[in-house]
Amino acid sequence: MEIKKVAVIGAGVMGAGIAAHISNAGIPVVLLDIVPKGVDNRNAIAEGAVQKMLKVQPAPFMHKRNARLVTTGNIEDHMELLAECDWIIEAVIERLDIKQDLYRKIDSVRKPGSVVSSNTSTIPLRDLVAEQTDAFVGDFMITHFFNPPRYMRLLEITAGEKTRADAVMGIRDFCDRSLGKGVVDCNDTPGFIANRIGIFWIQVAILEAMALGLSVEEADAVMGRPLGIPKTGVFGLSDLVGIDLMPHLMESMQRTLSKDDPFLAKSTIPELVSRMIADGYTGRKGKGGFYRINRTAGGKVKESIDLVSGEYNPSRKAQLDSLQASRQGGLKALVNHPDKGGQYARRVLAQVLGYAASLIPEIAENILAVDEAMKLGYAWKYGPFELIDRLGGSLFGQLLESEGLSLPPLIQLAAEQSFYRVQDGQLQYLDTSGIYQDVVRPEGVLLLSDIKRRSEPLAKNGSAALWDIGDGVVCLEYTSKMNAMDPDILALMREAIGIVSKEYKALVLHNEGENYSVGANLGLLLFAANIGTWDQIEEMVEGGQQTYKALKYAPFPVIGAPAGMALGGGCETLLHCDAVQAHAETYIGLVEVGVGLIPGWGGCKEMLQRWMINKRRPGGPMPAVIKCFETISTATVAKSAAEAKDYLFFRPDDGVTMNRDRLLADAKSRALALADGYQPPQPIEISLPGPTAKAAMEMAVKGFHLAGKATDHDVVVAMALAEMLSGGDTDITESLTEDDLLGLEREVFMSLIRHPDTLDRMEHMLETGKPLRN
Amino acid sequence: MASYKTPLRDMHFVYSELFDAEAIQALPGCEEVTPDLVDAILQEAGKFCEERLLPLNRSGDEEGCHFENGKVTTPAGLKEAYHDFNEMGWGALAADPEYGGQGLPNSVSMMVEEIMCSTNFAFGLYPGLTHGAYNALVARASDELKQTYLPNMVSGKWSGSMCLTEPQCGTDLGMIRTKAVPQEDGSYHITGSKMFITAGEHDLTENIIHLVLARTPDAPNGIKGISLFLVPKIQVNPDGLLGAPNGVSCGSIEHKMGINASATCVINLDDAKGFLVGELNKGMEAMFIMMNTERLAVGIQGLGIGEASYQGAVAYARERLQGRALTGPKSPEKPADSLLVHPDVRRMLLTQRAYVEGNRALAGWVATEMDHAHRNPDPSRRQEAKDFVALMTPVVKAFMTDTGSEVANLGMQVFGGHGYIREHGMEQYVRDARIAQIYEGTNGIQAMDLVGRKLPAHMGRYLRRFFHPVRDYLESKEHDFSMHAYLMPLAKAFGRLQKATAVIAQKGMANPDEAGAAAAEYLRLFALVALGYLWMRMADIGKQKRDEDNLFYQAKVDTARFYFERILPQSSALFANIMAGSKGMMKFNDEAF
Repeated sequence: MEIKKVAVIGAGVMGAGIAAHISNAGIPVVLLDIVPKGVDNRNAIAEGAVQKMLKVQPAPFMHKRNARLVTTGNIEDHMELLAECDWIIEAVIERLDIKQDLYRKIDSVRKPGSVVSSNTSTIPLRDLVAEQTDAFVGDFMITHFFNPPRYMRLLEITAGEKTRADAVMGIRDFCDRSLGKGVVDCNDTPGFIANRIGIFWIQVAILEAMALGLSVEEADAVMGRPLGIPKTGVFGLSDLVGIDLMPHLMESMQRTLSKDDPFLAKSTIPELVSRMIADGYTGRKGKGGFYRINRTAGGKVKESIDLVSGEYNPSRKAQLDSLQASRQGGLKALVNHPDKGGQYARRVLAQVLGYAASLIPEIAENILAVDEAMKLGYAWKYGPFELIDRLGGSLFGQLLESEGLSLPPLIQLAAEQSFYRVQDGQLQYLDTSGIYQDVVRPEGVLLLSDIKRRSEPLAKNGSAALWDIGDGVVCLEYTSKMNAMDPDILALMREAIGIVSKEYKALVLHNEGENYSVGANLGLLLFAANIGTWDQIEEMVEGGQQTYKALKYAPFPVIGAPAGMALGGGCETLLHCDAVQAHAETYIGLVEVGVGLIPGWGGCKEMLQRWMINKRRPGGPMPAVIKCFETISTATVAKSAAEAKDYLFFRPDDGVTMNRDRLLADAKSRALALADGYQPPQPIEISLPGPTAKAAMEMAVKGFHLAGKATDHDVVVAMALAEMLSGGDTDITESLTEDDLLGLEREVFMSLIRHPDTLDRMEHMLETGKPLRN
Repeated sequence: MASYKTPLRDMHFVYSELFDAEAIQALPGCEEVTPDLVDAILQEAGKFCEERLLPLNRSGDEEGCHFENGKVTTPAGLKEAYHDFNEMGWGALAADPEYGGQGLPNSVSMMVEEIMCSTNFAFGLYPGLTHGAYNALVARASDELKQTYLPNMVSGKWSGSMCLTEPQCGTDLGMIRTKAVPQEDGSYHITGSKMFITAGEHDLTENIIHLVLARTPDAPNGIKGISLFLVPKIQVNPDGLLGAPNGVSCGSIEHKMGINASATCVINLDDAKGFLVGELNKGMEAMFIMMNTERLAVGIQGLGIGEASYQGAVAYARERLQGRALTGPKSPEKPADSLLVHPDVRRMLLTQRAYVEGNRALAGWVATEMDHAHRNPDPSRRQEAKDFVALMTPVVKAFMTDTGSEVANLGMQVFGGHGYIREHGMEQYVRDARIAQIYEGTNGIQAMDLVGRKLPAHMGRYLRRFFHPVRDYLESKEHDFSMHAYLMPLAKAFGRLQKATAVIAQKGMANPDEAGAAAAEYLRLFALVALGYLWMRMADIGKQKRDEDNLFYQAKVDTARFYFERILPQSSALFANIMAGSKGMMKFNDEAF
C-alpha cells in the first residue's frame, strides 16, 4: 500500500497539525473543515488554520513551503477531493453522532481500499464503526496523535477486529518511516495506553500533593528530574496542556471505564481545580494556572498557587532533604527518604506503577508497548517498568504493601526478576507468561545503544568512543557532557582517522544524545581565557581546525548523522563531512557570535566555500560573503533539516530521515554507497574581495547600531567576522588556500577571546543559558 | 629593648609610587586624600604608636590580663593608651562620617593597622574587633540598630566582639548550639556559651557590643539555620544611655602562647537580650562580611610583626660584633666584624625584607582594590575590584601570616641566643605571630577557600582579575631588555601557576580530594607569583628612579633581585608538589598514623 495523498478532516489544533506534519513528509494533503456561519469565505476555517500555523512557534511546518502542499477546503463543497486520497484522517469534535455521520459521507466518496482513521482519544472504536458498511469497517482504525503532532513522537494505533491487517501494516509503516513516529499498537480500551496511565498519574500526583501538604514547586521537583520526567513535573505540565481539559478527560474515563477500575476512585476533580477553571485560571493559555507570571507593579514575578488557600504567592524553589538525597543517591534515595518528598514519591509511584502493571494485557500485549508509549507520549525518560527495575522488584513490592495496595499478577510473576535484562549482549523483556523475549527492532532500525550492549569500543576516552557498526563502517560517538566538543573528542577523531584508514570503509559521526552537540566546551574555554593561557587556546583552535580538515580529506567517506541541536563546533564537524544524513528535527547553526566569538574550527571557511560554489549564486564573490555574513552574524539556527538546506548548512543532496531510530541505518547505507571508489574532495582555492567588502559590511553594521538593533559589542564581533569573511588584507586577484582562511579565522578568534565583553558573554551564557546583549 | 621606626618611606612608595594615588583621590569621598595628607597621617600614626603603644608591648605581654570575679583587667597602661588612641581619632579612621568616622580609604587605614601591629599587636586587637563588628553592622543591621550603636563604637566609647566559636565547634560553625528565642517585642533571648572570644570582656570601654551567632528554635539544621544577633554587654535605653546589665558574663580567660595583653574570653549568655542583624538564617552571610575584612586585617598582622622583627634583626646585626668575614676582616680596627658580613645572616635579613616589602605591596594592591570596590562610581570597575578582593582575601590572610611567622623566626635566629630570651623582644614576635596563622579561619581553610570557592567561581572570573593584569604586564615588557632578568623567571613561574590552576580546576571537579591535597601549596605558589609580579614592578620603578634617591631605589632593585634568585624558585618545587596529586596522601593507612 502506497500513500501518495492524505486528507485530514477537522482543522482544529490537532487536525491542522497532523496535516502540516504530513506535508513535512512531502505528501500532499487535503485539509477540510465545516463551512463557518456568517462568513463569505466558505474555506475560512481550514485556510485560517494554515495561516496561523505559519506564524506560531514551535512551527508545525518544517519548512514554510510545505504549506503549499496543503489544499484547504470545506466538507460541503470539496468532499470529492477525498476520492484521490489513500488515507483519510478524521479529527473532528469528540461527538459520536457527528463522527458517524461524517463517516457515511466519507464512505460515499472515498476510493476503494483507502484507509479511514480517527484521531479520537475518548470514543471506543467499536462505537465509531457501529453503523458503517463492512468495507468501511475493514478499512477503519484509530490513529491517535499527540499534540503537537510534529514534535510528539508517539502514535497509538488501534485496529478493530475487522480491520484489514494490510491496512494496519501500511499505515504503521507510513507513520514510522514517513512521519517519523514511534508507533505503538493498542487495544480498544479507554485512553489507550499513554493517557490511561498518564492522566491517572497527573490526577494521583495532584491529589497526593494536596493530601501531603506539598507546595506545587516541591511536588514538581519530586515528580520531575529524580524520576526522569520533564522538570514541568505534574503541575507545570497541567498548566501546559490546559487545566480545563481535566474535567473532560475525567468525564470520558468515568463513562467508559469499567466500574471497578481503580482510576475511578481517583477521578474526582479537586474543588480548587474547579474554582481555578471557573475563574479562568486554565493554564498558560489562560490567566495562568498553578503557576502564573504576575506583571502588576511593572515587574515580572513568577508566582504559584497555595494548594490549601488558593492564594498566589511568589514562587519559592523547593528545598527538601529528599531532593538533596536524590541528587547523590538517585531514585532509591528519594523513595527511601522519610521526609514528605520521599513519602510523596512513594505514594505516587506505588499507585501509578502498580496501576500500569495491572493493565497488561488489558491495554497492550506487553510491557514494551507501555514503556514506549509513556516515553514517547509523556517524554518520560524511563517507562513504568523501567522505573520498577530501577527501584528493584523487592523494594517496589514493599512499596505496594506499605501503601496498602495489592500486588498485580504481573508483579507477582516477575517476583524478584527484573522486567528487562541483557543476555549475551541482547536486550530482553519479560513477557506475560514470565519468559524473557528478545527486544526485536524493526527492519531498518539500527541503534547505537544495541551495538554498545553487545560489543566493546574500538577506542575510547573520556569524551568520545569509536564503535564498529558492521559492514566496515565505524561510528564516532561523543560522550562528553552535553556532547560538548573538547580536546578529547578531537584526539579520538584523529585516532579514528588512523583506524578507519587501515581497516574500515567509512566513518559516521552520530550519537543518541538529546542533541548531536551544542558546540565547543565553553566552560573549558572561558576558564582557559580567564587565566590568560592564550597560547594553549590558540593551540586548541588550531588543533580543531587541523582535525576537522583531516576528517575532510581522509581517504574514506565521513558521514554526519545528527539529530537535535548541532551548534557551533558541532555544526562545524558536519560542515566538514562528505555528506550528511540528518534527522528531520535537526537544529543547526553557527551561534558563536552569541558568546562574542566567530566560528574558529573552519566554520567560516566551509560556509564561504559552500556559498562560492553554489549554483544559485549570481556572479562575483560578494553575494557569497554577504550571505555568510548574514547567517553567521545573526547566529541563525535552522529550525529543521529542511530549513538547514536554505542556509547551506546542509547541501541540497544531503539526506533527511524522519524517524530518529532509522537515522544510523540510513547514514550507514549512505556511507557504504560513497565508499566504493571514494576520492577525497579536491582542495579549493578562493578569491575574496578584501577591505572593500569589509567596508560594505561595516556600513550595514553601523546602520544597525545607530538604529539600536545592534549593541556595542555586536558591532565589535560583527566587524571581526567581516574581517574574516572578506578575506582580511587581500583583494580579488589573490587566491586564498584553506590554510590561509584558517589562519585568518584563528587570528580573528584570538582577538575576540581576549576581549572582556566576549568573556562576559561567555560567562552569562554558561550561567544563565541566555545570550548577554552587551 | 625592641627598636622600631615606622617605614614611612616604603609606605609612601607603595601608596604613591607603586599604586595610583590619584585614582584613589578621584574616588567619591576621597577628594581631600592627597599623597601629602596620607604621608602626614602615617607620620602622626607612627609617632603615636612608637611613643605610646610600643613601650607597652613587652610589659603588656609579661603582665597579661587579669581575671577576677567575672571582671577582666587589662595590663597597666593599656586603658590610658586606649583612651588617647580614640581621643585622637585613630579608631575612626576608615569609618563612615555619618557615624562620626573620618571616611579615609582602606588603602590608608590598612597602613595605620600595620603600624599598630608592629608596635603592639595585642593592643591592636581591641580596636580591630570593634571595626570588624562595625563593618558587619553597617552592611546588615537595621537603621535603628545602626543609629543606636555605631556612633559610640566609632568613637571608641564602646568596643565590639565576634562570638562564633563554641566548645564543640570552631571551623564547623554549622554545629552551633547557642539558642535565640524570639520575644514579643521583636528582640531575642539568647542562651549559650562561646569561647575564644577576643576582647570579649575587658576594662577599656563602658560597654561591649557582641555579635553572636545563634539559632532560633525552628531554624533548619546546619549552617543554613544560623542567624546573627547584636547582644550588648549592658543594655542601651531608648535615650541612648546605658541601662541594666544584660545576661552576658565572662566565665574565664585563656592562658595563651602570645598576644597576652589581649583578653581571650569564655562568654556565657543567659537569656541575654539580643537583636537580629540582617535576615533570619542568613547569619553566616552577615558574618562573612565582617570575616572577609578581618581576614585581610589578619594578613596585615603578619606583615606588621614581620616588619618589627626585621627592623630588630637589622639593628642587632649592624651592632653586634662577632666573628670575621669569611674573606678576611672587614673592620680590622674593631674586635670583630658586624654580623652583616656573614652571608647566612644577609640571607636571613634579605629574606625577611623581600617578604615584608613584598607583602606590603600586596596589601597595598588589595586595599586599593577594596577602595574601588566600595567607592568607584563605575559598576563594572566595582565588580572587577570585588572579584579581585574576593580572590586575594585567602591569599593575603594565609601567605602574609605564614611568612609573618617565618620572618619573625628568622629575626630571632639572627639574634642567636639573645633572640630566645625576653630582653630584645624577638621571641615575643614569634609567639604573637603564631596565632595569626590559626584564627579567622586557619590557613588550611584559607587554601580550601581559594581552590574550592574562589577558583571555580563564575568559571574562573575572579582569577581573570589577577591573571590578566600579570599577563598583560609581562607582554608589555617583552621588548624591554633591561627587565629580562625578571621577565623570564616570572613568566616561567606564572606559566606554572596557570598550569596548576587548570589542572586543579579539572582534577578537582572529578575528585575534590585532588583540590584539597593541592590547596596549601597552590596558595603559596599563587602568592609567590603575585609577589614576583609586584617585585618586578618595584624593580622597574627602582631602575627608573635610582638617580633621585640611590639608597632607597637601588635597594628596591637589589631586593627584587634577591627575591627572583632566592625565593621565587620555590615555585618550581611547589609546582611539583601540586602535580603529585592526592593519592600518596589519601591512600596512607589510617591505622598506621
